[in-house]
Amino acid sequence: MPEVKIIAKNFMDMVASLPAMKLDKLYDNAFICEAILRSLPPLAKKYVLQMLYIDSPITAKSMEVWVLPDGSSKHRVAIDRLIQLRVFSETVDRRKETTYKINPTFQTNLQKLLTHGEVLPREPMPSNITVRLPSMEDLDVYAIGQWECFLLQLISSAQAERPSNISSSMMKVFQRGLLSQRDKEAPRLTESGFQFLLMDTNAQLWYIIREYISNSEERGVDPADLISFLLELSFHVTGEAYNSNTLTEVQRNTIKDLTDLGLVKLQQGRKESWFIPTKLATNLSVSLTDSSSRKQGFVVVETNFRLYAYSTSKLHCEILRLFSRVEYQLPNLIVGAITKESLYNAFENGITADQIISFLQQNAHPRVAERIPTVPENVTDQIRLWESDLNRVEMTPAHYYDEFPSREIFEAACDHAREWNGLLWEDSKPR
Amino acid sequence: MGHGEKGRPNKKHKSSAKEDHRNIVEDEDAYYGEEVDDDNRDGEKKRDFTKLELKPDHANRPLWACADGRIFLETFSPLYKQAYDFLIAIAEPVCRPESMHEYNLTPHSLYAAVSVGLETETIIAVLNKLSKTKLPKEMIDFIHASTANYGKVKLVLKKNRYFVESPFPEVLKKLLKDEAIAKARINAEVSNGSDGFTISKAKGEIGTGHEDLLSGAEVAAAAEEKETHAFEVDPAQVENVKQRCLPNALNYPMLEEYDFRNDTVNPDLDMELKPHAQPRPYQEKSLSKMFGNGRARSGIIVLPCGAGKSLVGVSAACRIKKSCLCLATNAVSVDQWAFQFRLWSTIREDQICRFTSDSKERFRGNAGVVVTTYNMVAFGGKRSEESEKIIEEIRNREWGLLLMDEVHVVPAHMFRKVISITKSHCKLGLTATLVREDERITDLNFLIGPKLYEANWLDLVKGGFIANVQCAEVWCPMTKEFFAEYLKKENSKKKQALYVMNPNKFRACEFLIRFHEQQRGDKIIVFADNLFALTEYAMKLRKPMIYGATSHVERTKILEAFKTSKEVNTVFLSKVGDNSIDIPEANVIIQISSHAGSRRQEAQRLGRILRAKGKLQDRMAGGKEEYNAFFYSLVSTDTQEMYYSTKRQQFLIDQGYSFKVITSLPPPDTGADLSYHSLQDQLALLSKVLSAGDDAVGLEQLEEDADDIALHKARRFMGSMSAMSGANGMVYMEYSTGRKMLGHMKGKPKDPAKRHHLFKRRFT
Repeated sequence: MPEVKIIAKNFMDMVASLPAMKLDKLYDNAFICEAILRSLPPLAKKYVLQMLYIDSPITAKSMEVWVLPDGSSKHRVAIDRLIQLRVFSETVDRRKETTYKINPTFQTNLQKLLTHGEVLPREPMPSNITVRLPSMEDLDVYAIGQWECFLLQLISSAQAERPSNISSSMMKVFQRGLLSQRDKEAPRLTESGFQFLLMDTNAQLWYIIREYISNSEERGVDPADLISFLLELSFHVTGEAYNSNTLTEVQRNTIKDLTDLGLVKLQQGRKESWFIPTKLATNLSVSLTDSSSRKQGFVVVETNFRLYAYSTSKLHCEILRLFSRVEYQLPNLIVGAITKESLYNAFENGITADQIISFLQQNAHPRVAERIPTVPENVTDQIRLWESDLNRVEMTPAHYYDEFPSREIFEAACDHAREWNGLLWEDSKPR
Repeated sequence: MGHGEKGRPNKKHKSSAKEDHRNIVEDEDAYYGEEVDDDNRDGEKKRDFTKLELKPDHANRPLWACADGRIFLETFSPLYKQAYDFLIAIAEPVCRPESMHEYNLTPHSLYAAVSVGLETETIIAVLNKLSKTKLPKEMIDFIHASTANYGKVKLVLKKNRYFVESPFPEVLKKLLKDEAIAKARINAEVSNGSDGFTISKAKGEIGTGHEDLLSGAEVAAAAEEKETHAFEVDPAQVENVKQRCLPNALNYPMLEEYDFRNDTVNPDLDMELKPHAQPRPYQEKSLSKMFGNGRARSGIIVLPCGAGKSLVGVSAACRIKKSCLCLATNAVSVDQWAFQFRLWSTIREDQICRFTSDSKERFRGNAGVVVTTYNMVAFGGKRSEESEKIIEEIRNREWGLLLMDEVHVVPAHMFRKVISITKSHCKLGLTATLVREDERITDLNFLIGPKLYEANWLDLVKGGFIANVQCAEVWCPMTKEFFAEYLKKENSKKKQALYVMNPNKFRACEFLIRFHEQQRGDKIIVFADNLFALTEYAMKLRKPMIYGATSHVERTKILEAFKTSKEVNTVFLSKVGDNSIDIPEANVIIQISSHAGSRRQEAQRLGRILRAKGKLQDRMAGGKEEYNAFFYSLVSTDTQEMYYSTKRQQFLIDQGYSFKVITSLPPPDTGADLSYHSLQDQLALLSKVLSAGDDAVGLEQLEEDADDIALHKARRFMGSMSAMSGANGMVYMEYSTGRKMLGHMKGKPKDPAKRHHLFKRRFT
């Protein structure tokens, strides 16, 4: 994963940042509880399960006994996280003794889950009503297609092939931070915009969803509702059809936006209409670093700095263009070269060598993916060297003075500057 | 790095390059006259062929073909081997790394294709079969246009009569309209309106190896008996007729074939390959291209150094079994060729002879093998009586095979001369690096013949036939003092000496020599083009060196010691060592200076260590000695060398080699173990460099002796006035007296108290 500043690490960070009231309300929803449990660090998970059937508060002291001496930092992290998510509540009594208690709503919901088993948020529609459901492959293609179309539209509105439902004001919200527009010029990608494009789909999706959620209040939608709906969505089964009637008004509007992102596919039957969640939706709550969701790579980088991308996607072409010179575009292949110039261009735009390299590694074509290293060593070395080449010169803002009326004044000025530790350079040779 | 690729040079560039080609041959740079090229690599232009129609089963087909002649080949396709053999026959390889190859269709490559017997329709059909997309119309048209005239006419020597042969009578008629050709024709009894062409039937080309890609019907069509029409020409006029057929005249370049089996006039030479000489698969393949239809074709075979070019040459001679003239570039390689003939073939000792300025042998009997240098044959000046006799013999004899080594180094005018002097039925050129933008390659195409075969370096490495070389570029930062001098304008002529003598580079070199000698017991060659540096390095490190002025005897002695002695593990070579000196023992190369941006020199030098050593199974991918050869190129950072270095590596990179950049050599903890650790030593070295005359620190000028190839007609000296006036090496230096004078002239002694403390010290 490229290290990206612009991103909260995952969905749960966002949940954790909700105000206490909202958070407590969220836990009414059993799916949220399950999703939260899944997202916890292993030790925190264990604590929750251990305390699931204990109704009285547990003292911090007795909890510390559970941990081996070298596990104390992990213990701290787990407790912090639980408190942050308000799964645990912390109280300090008069004797200065700290106790922890599990959130009662959360507790009952999980207990129910354990005793009654998992319940789906909605029943899929019977197959005699839903006809012509897409196959899994078709659905994947559809999802990726929608998503890429959205991204293209995001980075340059002119290139989008079909209009989408997402309002231009919504689009502006997404573009905020990724594009910068100086008056009348065509919008340019900002540093974070470039970084965004190099991220993998899950990370990108999360970024967009986050923006979508944080903007929800402006649209009159409660963020907590939105979060719980999105989490709920991730518990649906990929490829099954769900009746749109079961959705609330707000959810129905949201679903339209999600269609454009490729999270769901909408279909209209004779009487009923239904939505089909795609892989993108069901992966939403999965931790971002989970590699199982990664799509197949397409890039082959050769030792001669040439790059071959098995792709028909315009978006891929645009992304490759960020740091390489695209030379040939064939029906299912993009041929480019990584050159010093193309890389300098990328560095100037704030892309780092590591981001480029990890993009190339993550998207390596299966043919070269097993090879070690996936990207030839000489290429990665060179990319890093070119980057460090740019950092060799250090810039210090300075003022330049010349034509001193006399030697004495020149020397005095130098002395003065030296005293202030501000003399960068002097040339005492008389002209 | 300019990792673009060579596009087909546009017309304009070509013609202009041709014009100044003649000028630069005179010049020193013409030695590797290839700096012309490169920048016509397709700049920012990107080509959009997304509209090409993909075939439904495209995943099973191995290549894409673009309208501009570029072809991309997947090496992991199951059809790769067939597709590779086919593409190498019809197109120029641009780059061949591991997963994806790129080729260019050019008129020359198609000429070569046609001359090994591929026909226009076959080329298009096979290409179409292999292509993932429908073939672009432009490409089909291009193939048609380029092959329309090529390969239509053959010059065949049958029973010592020359025939112009063609399956197309109308082409022959067209040729005969030319006055010169009509005059050269013998037997032109045109009776009752017929053309009087001899008509014979010949089997179509078989064994081109692409049958499996064609449907049955197509193969049948290709192998079908064809009528060939022919007329005879006067042997004395053959050169004339050939000239008239070249692209600049009638544009029906003739393919030359030698029907050696039916040659009863020239005596046979009794030689066979010895049983232990087992040609490797790629050697077989290259020979099969040459002898594809039972006759011998003229042409060029390109194999990497160390892949066994000499065995191919000797095998060819053994098949033809006629007298053979073998041309090499210098006396050392003459010895080596003679040795190779004795090693691989059953030729009798007295049937092989060397002809150089040192040894003038003559063979007994009526057929034999003569090994000599290009220079000995082309030499225009006065010769000794004995040489004159031998040369006369060479001139008068009809050679069955003219075997030419290292054809890429020899200038075109020398070729013309050699070819006009010697009468040969078949010409075979051998080389490792046919670097393509070079205009000389065009000449070679028509003077010798098309490229018959070119091996893929990486495939040979994978097969364990040549060494797997670990290439590295070592970045040596310039020391402060050297860099300051490097930047001074007045040192512009010493720039090279300064970056080569960079103490950090010296230390890196010393470190590498020590490491490989002591830790691995390797044999090391150090290359330096700069004579000053060569001597300095060799003296300081106490290693033997060979350069232009080293006598043949001394060279042989040093090389012998290097081969056999345990004491001599490192040898310093100037650029005389670039070509043909065969040092199979060496497995490490350290390059401390080089000829500007010459890709060919880089490849040739790498070739010195390509010969595979050790057991085959150890060398194969994954074997226990996957890398057993090392190529280090030492460059001083921030100098011209960096720029040249990336340029030089291009050829090898295109062959699939990669250069690893090493930035921390020698390791910081080596300290005073290595030379030039102290600033004092470094400064002493610096003043030595600076005080040497400009001519002394320049590039080595190869002496023109009758033995070595005259690479340049005139020798140009870059001399300095100091050298000519005899004041060489003496420097005028200013000391502090000057400053005192200055002070007096101002005439106003300053009050010391007012002076800045920094200046105070200077005046007291």
